[in-house]
Amino acid sequence: MTTDIQTETTEAQTTRGRVYVIDRSRPRLRVGQGLLTGLDVVFRHFRDALTRKLEKPSQQTGVFTVQYPEERLKLPEAFRNFPILLYDDETGQELCTSCFQCQRICPPQVIHMTQARDPSTGKPVPAVAEFLIEYDACMSCGLCAEVCPFDAIKMDHEFEYSTDVHGGLTINKEALNRPISYYEKIAPTFWAEVKDSAMKKLQGNMKRRPELIGVAPQMVEKIRAKRAEAAATAPATADAASADKAARPAAAARARSAEKTAEAAPEPATDSAPADKAARLAAIRAANVAKKTDEGAAETVAPAGDSAPADKAARLAAIRAANVAKKTDEGAAETVAPAGDSAPADKAARLAAIRAANVAKKTDEGAAETVAPAGDSAPTDKAARLAAIRAANAAKKAAANEGAPAAASADVAPAPSAPEGEPDVSSTPPAAEAADPTIEVAPPTSSMPSDKAARLAAIRTANAAKKAAAQSDGSEE
Amino acid sequence: MTDILRSWIGGALPDWLIVLIAYLLVTIIVLFYAVGNFILMVWAERRVVARMQDRLGPNRVGPAGLLQPIADAVKMFTKEDIVPRSADRWVHLLAPIVSLAPVAMMLAVVPWGRGWEPIDLHVALLYIVAVSAVSGVGLMMAGWGSNNKFALLGAMRAVAQLVSYEIPAVTALLTVVVLAGGMSLLGLPYLQAGVPLMGATILCGDPAGCSPLLYTTITSFPGSANEPVQALDLGLGWWVFTPVGLLGFIVFFIAALAEGERTPFDIPEADSEIVAGYMTEYSGMKFATFYIAQYILNFALSALAATAFLGGWQGPGVAALANMGGPWVHVAAALSGFYLLAKIWILFFVMIWLRGAFPRLRVDQLMDFAWKLLLPLALVNIVSASLMVGLTQWTGAQWGGLISLDGFAPWQRQLIAILVTAIINIAATYWILSINQRPTQEEWDEELVIAP
Repeated sequence: MTTDIQTETTEAQTTRGRVYVIDRSRPRLRVGQGLLTGLDVVFRHFRDALTRKLEKPSQQTGVFTVQYPEERLKLPEAFRNFPILLYDDETGQELCTSCFQCQRICPPQVIHMTQARDPSTGKPVPAVAEFLIEYDACMSCGLCAEVCPFDAIKMDHEFEYSTDVHGGLTINKEALNRPISYYEKIAPTFWAEVKDSAMKKLQGNMKRRPELIGVAPQMVEKIRAKRAEAAATAPATADAASADKAARPAAAARARSAEKTAEAAPEPATDSAPADKAARLAAIRAANVAKKTDEGAAETVAPAGDSAPADKAARLAAIRAANVAKKTDEGAAETVAPAGDSAPADKAARLAAIRAANVAKKTDEGAAETVAPAGDSAPTDKAARLAAIRAANAAKKAAANEGAPAAASADVAPAPSAPEGEPDVSSTPPAAEAADPTIEVAPPTSSMPSDKAARLAAIRTANAAKKAAAQSDGSEE
Repeated sequence: MTDILRSWIGGALPDWLIVLIAYLLVTIIVLFYAVGNFILMVWAERRVVARMQDRLGPNRVGPAGLLQPIADAVKMFTKEDIVPRSADRWVHLLAPIVSLAPVAMMLAVVPWGRGWEPIDLHVALLYIVAVSAVSGVGLMMAGWGSNNKFALLGAMRAVAQLVSYEIPAVTALLTVVVLAGGMSLLGLPYLQAGVPLMGATILCGDPAGCSPLLYTTITSFPGSANEPVQALDLGLGWWVFTPVGLLGFIVFFIAALAEGERTPFDIPEADSEIVAGYMTEYSGMKFATFYIAQYILNFALSALAATAFLGGWQGPGVAALANMGGPWVHVAAALSGFYLLAKIWILFFVMIWLRGAFPRLRVDQLMDFAWKLLLPLALVNIVSASLMVGLTQWTGAQWGGLISLDGFAPWQRQLIAILVTAIINIAATYWILSINQRPTQEEWDEELVIAP
């Protein structure tokens, strides 16, 4: 009963005007033939529906019914119903950091959360204490999952939520939590896309979560047991806070040993404490550099920033200083990159350090002293920045004049005395003393809380450098 | 039944009481039979139509959904019985009963098996035609009593349809009356013994050598002078295999569809047009009563069509078993009952099939079909049937010397009759169809020319 679908359109003039005649090339039906064709079609459907299921879209006959509670269609990955929260399978840590993005974007405003706080300090912790979603008013728009920067909230495939309990669809955190493995199962490609960044972010956040805060409620017992087991096997492991403290003297000690003996720094202890990685790294690198420099006078001091957990600036400066020191052939290189004390975003210090490093790189002469003074507790110390810039410029000029004992002298702005008198203070005076005698050395203005001294010193250095440059010009002429 | 009861408890009770009890028992059995079939029909219709639409249909209640009608009945019983305030209360109440009762009465005269006849009525066909027309009164009562425009429209349509289609239906049944020489339904299956097309005309040459399993004693057509003969009997001499019977069956079955308000003709309850027709204002058990009436009407009409044209309970093996005598007679009766039921269900399946395939007709198409196609065909068929009877049974004297077939054997006369009636019926069908044919495109264009 296949009908030829080849159509032919012709234009025809009729008494009713011009019309388009579409010839479907179907033969004229005999009496009852149309009825029999219909019966035939229906009977084929009946026969096939008794024997087979409709499986492919190209198939025209067969039962298409899906007997829902027993049989289910495979939901597409992008299917979304209600949001859920994810937690890590192993550590039990929730991905949510309580950033409130989802709560803000939620059109029907059904997301509510409270941020977790450190019970000892009362400070907010990047974790969520309680999370509520009113599923009954949720419109399944998925905006919360879209906006979540930590990939902590995702849309679930579960859709059978009918209940006879009034208010039974206000879901708390424990009921919202799902392991990542669950989400990976329902949306494998989606999770693969975000997996790396999400886990990286989680690793960062886990360090800032004390005790069992941020662990999914259903995993708390398990994780506690796990930790207890770990503690039993490694009794030396101290808790996070004390380990942090212990790391700093260790780093300093390493730096000192490098300075004295120019020998290999001791291998960094890989203690499980979430210590200041930056400080440690800088110290290690400085030590390595010092090892390579032939002369013993190399002083590499990379004091760790005191209690500044994310002192990027200090880290960067230290790293670059280390790199520079590596390149300088002469041994008198002094690289001091003291970290700004408790100034978490000391841009100035960073900039100065970078530029000083660049200059030092260029100077071929060995007497280059590169000291990047860090502004002391002044987050926007313009003066220090200026001074550093000038010093850098002077040094550049000196470098330009080949042959002359160009000296880019920078003054030493020592790291101010740490409250507890950490060993990194003691490492600064030798840095100044060890400087080459031909170079002007600005007196160290140590233990002065005001930054004026630092500024002054910087200016003087700059001037001196300028003079030196002028002298070398004259001598050439 | 009466005889059985008499033999059991003849002495204990007066005879009139025994007769009364016997009739009551038979009535109950027949009604239960019909209602049981109704329940199965509702289930089967839903399941079969579902498969035709690539679905599964009800399959949750009981095995394969067989208990679905029970669940429906429970629902119907527990629903509120609503009577519109402006309705005529008594007419509204009586309408379902008036429509169900005559339908149930039709079942009384149908021979359900060999020897399973509730009542031997000599004017059974007339009775059926008369009684089935009464249900139209019930429909009109429902439409009028509801005081609802959709109900009234539905009732009008239903009655118009019933009245129109009764004429071709009765005319088609007249064929059977002519062939059988009477209006009794009881004799019809006996008359349809034999082999396809030829009927019971292949006689046994040597009475001693004919196996009783193949040959049975046929008393030939009533009214003829023929002696009882031994004829080859496979139980397949159904009239539907002859040209007269085929045309009669087609006309009658189509008319039965219309009378039973089955789908191509379900105009009275066209739910897309007039809600539910005359049933609009009914709920609960009253609605269910209409529903039962409709299905039992379909059941009864299928039984009638099967009995009149498809041999009734006649089928291969029935006669042979009956000839063996003794307890085999009961086996033959059971087998014959099964044959009739199978035929009814096949017809019902065709009804469902048509429902799955065809859309609803318009009222004017419905009327055209009845008056311009079915009725002329049925009338021609009566002429054919008369010729058939004349050619196979009349003697030369009855023909008035015009035609004399006395010298031919019965099977030769049957062949001649079949040839003649086939020619007449085919020619008439072709002619009637062609004059009812839609005009060709050119003719349409000619008609549509607008004068300048």
